[in-house]
Amino acid sequence: MDKMAGYAFVAAMFSTGLAIFVYLLYAISGLRAARMQTAGAPGSTGAMGFVSGPRTASMGRYATILGWLAVVALLMSLVFRAIATGHGPFANMYEFSVAFAFGILAAYMWFERRYHQRILALVALPVALAMMLYAWTIQGPIEPLVPALQNNLLLTVHVAVAIVAYGSFSIAFAAAVLYLIQPEGGRWGLPKPQVLDEIGYRAVVVGFPFLSLTIILGAVWADVAWGSYWSWDPKETASLVTWLIYGAYLHARVMRGWRGNRAAWLLMLGFAATLFTYFFINLFAPGLHSYAGLS
Amino acid sequence: MTHEGSRPLPPAAVPAVREAARTGVVDRIDRVLEGLWHLLSSMRVAIVLMLAIAALGVLGAVIIQAPSGVLNDPSAKADWLSQVRPKYGGWTSIMDFFQLFQIFNSVLFRVLVAGLTISLIACSIHRTPGIWQTITRPRLDVGPAFFEHAPQHEAVVVRHSPAETLGIVNGVLQGRHYRTLAHDDGVIHVYGDRFRWVQFSGVVAHLSLVVILAGAIIGAMFGYRDSGFTIAEGSTLPVAAEAGLSLQLIDFTDTYYTDSGMPQDYASQVVLYKDGQEVARHTIRVNDPLRYGDTTFYQAFFGSAAVMTVKDSTGKTLVSEGVPLAWTTTADNRPIGSFTIPGTNYVGWVVGTLGANDATIQPGQMQLELYTADSGREVAQQVLDQGTPATMEGLTVSFDRESQFTGLSVSRDPGVTLVWLGAFLLVAGFTLRFLLPHKRIWARISPRANGGAVLAVASLGSRDAALGTEFQGLVSDIRGALHTPARS
Repeated sequence: MDKMAGYAFVAAMFSTGLAIFVYLLYAISGLRAARMQTAGAPGSTGAMGFVSGPRTASMGRYATILGWLAVVALLMSLVFRAIATGHGPFANMYEFSVAFAFGILAAYMWFERRYHQRILALVALPVALAMMLYAWTIQGPIEPLVPALQNNLLLTVHVAVAIVAYGSFSIAFAAAVLYLIQPEGGRWGLPKPQVLDEIGYRAVVVGFPFLSLTIILGAVWADVAWGSYWSWDPKETASLVTWLIYGAYLHARVMRGWRGNRAAWLLMLGFAATLFTYFFINLFAPGLHSYAGLS
Repeated sequence: MTHEGSRPLPPAAVPAVREAARTGVVDRIDRVLEGLWHLLSSMRVAIVLMLAIAALGVLGAVIIQAPSGVLNDPSAKADWLSQVRPKYGGWTSIMDFFQLFQIFNSVLFRVLVAGLTISLIACSIHRTPGIWQTITRPRLDVGPAFFEHAPQHEAVVVRHSPAETLGIVNGVLQGRHYRTLAHDDGVIHVYGDRFRWVQFSGVVAHLSLVVILAGAIIGAMFGYRDSGFTIAEGSTLPVAAEAGLSLQLIDFTDTYYTDSGMPQDYASQVVLYKDGQEVARHTIRVNDPLRYGDTTFYQAFFGSAAVMTVKDSTGKTLVSEGVPLAWTTTADNRPIGSFTIPGTNYVGWVVGTLGANDATIQPGQMQLELYTADSGREVAQQVLDQGTPATMEGLTVSFDRESQFTGLSVSRDPGVTLVWLGAFLLVAGFTLRFLLPHKRIWARISPRANGGAVLAVASLGSRDAALGTEFQGLVSDIRGALHTPARS
């Protein structure tokens, strides 16, 4: 089972890499179609502004299929790993990272289905691939659980919920990047700012309650295992910081003077806090959450 | 929170003109209070406070924080600061001055959290009347301009009379579970909405934070916590959390995975007594605490203990117990533990070995030091071989064998129920708020001179793109209903 998980993981990495390439071709082809259209050639404008010709469309379809393949392969990898270890596959940095990559991919595919903005893939998928490459470098044998992690239900639910939040925040980050790199007026065939703003918001609307739930489940677990629901452990603190930043974003987005660019910057800051919580705390900060298993 | 940036509604009724004949002072106080209220209920202030707390949080996550209580005790504080001094160098004192080692107890942090709490209470109060009004008395007449400028609008000329049109519109809206209200002043104004009560879920989610904070404060004020309750195998100790409670440790075991050497299990087999009667028997593990009433016992740490026997000159046994070596000496990090000797004025300190290379105290030996209980003066010191009695200050002392102690964390937190209640309200509130946005639609049916009517429909659109399709769906349903011949 462990081997199968490894194979599925490699398959997922290849599909993601290939998907990024095809998404890139799709973007270039779309950009060319946009140029031709401004030059007077016939073309059709997609529902949300992206210009598409027949070649672009089929490229997009292939990219999407590859993206789904990656999601399925990664899911299989996680399932095999769970069967092999006998618990939720979330017990060390390798397993977290695979799950994080899965969260990003799944969130991206969900948002693509809903908003048809494939350009987001050019930011979101490389982040997922980077996660997988990182996981690849720290692969290790399956280790049994230390006493603090011996709570199958909470281990699985607490981390699974966190993965949904982190995946959503990655999509919000991708939307914010595209929002911020657009020059005033010129759009380079990118999605309209309103659409990106909307996607960023919807992603946070999904992620925020899930992050709240992650923190609360963490508190429940801390109360069972450590005897205190809150100890200002670095991981707890950093999650709270992330929560506050996204909370600020949700308010900023409906405020004059804060919506638009500033709100997009808050999304960038929020994702930075997410990564800080994920990497810095697990790897460098001594605390109750040092389960990375990389010593 | 406040409506500062909400979407464009046509201007509300003009605020009542102030009485000009106010006296200066009253007017000034009034203005100050109004300004203060405006500040407190301002979302801008809330955002700034949230980001400021987040910034402090980053510091708190990166800078090593002192364990609670340490910084209140001057000698413990000096010890702790000297531990971190190699890391922070000359900054240590400056950082200590700015409370950077106790950020979450710092004055600044408390002020910011209090400010945010006041702000969110003020925002909720500020907001509630408006929500109440949109629920009970929503505005039906939004003016004709709204139907041209709203984010989503549509107009249809119909051959039905205004009253028939109203019936059709009502039918479609109610079919989709909208509440509808109408008002006829020559032109028929129609208002429909859905999930109106869900608007309060946002307020509930915000106030849930106050509930959580209240729980935390109650826990801090009335709770009990001892994170260093040490007890050696075979011993029974009173529990300070509740009168009459005592705990006996039968056995402690720590097991390790044979291949990796990683810890596998820590288990403390205990019996709990209340007024001498056994009330609970449990094996405490890391994820399996013992709960009795409001008091909970958690597995926290463990270590070795020395079983000591002390007899007086008549041969009467004064002490026969395991002494947990739960502390370390500051000078050379030796394990150390203490016990009192009843019937004498002495306190015994047992100092353990550092290992095979230790010349002073070798493995299989313990050093016993006797201090006077009142003045803390050392009166005797001797290294004891295991199983060999010795005489110190007229007492026969012996180190019988090594055993283990377990370190438990004992706590009673009366605020925890409030914390869980607040947590539940928080998640439920946000989920409802985001899942079921308040949906509103307005319609205006104006009669035409030659019969029939003009039906204009508009919606604010929402941040939710899904509402866009909802509006289009409603309009196409209404169109469909208008084209089917009306039943007589």
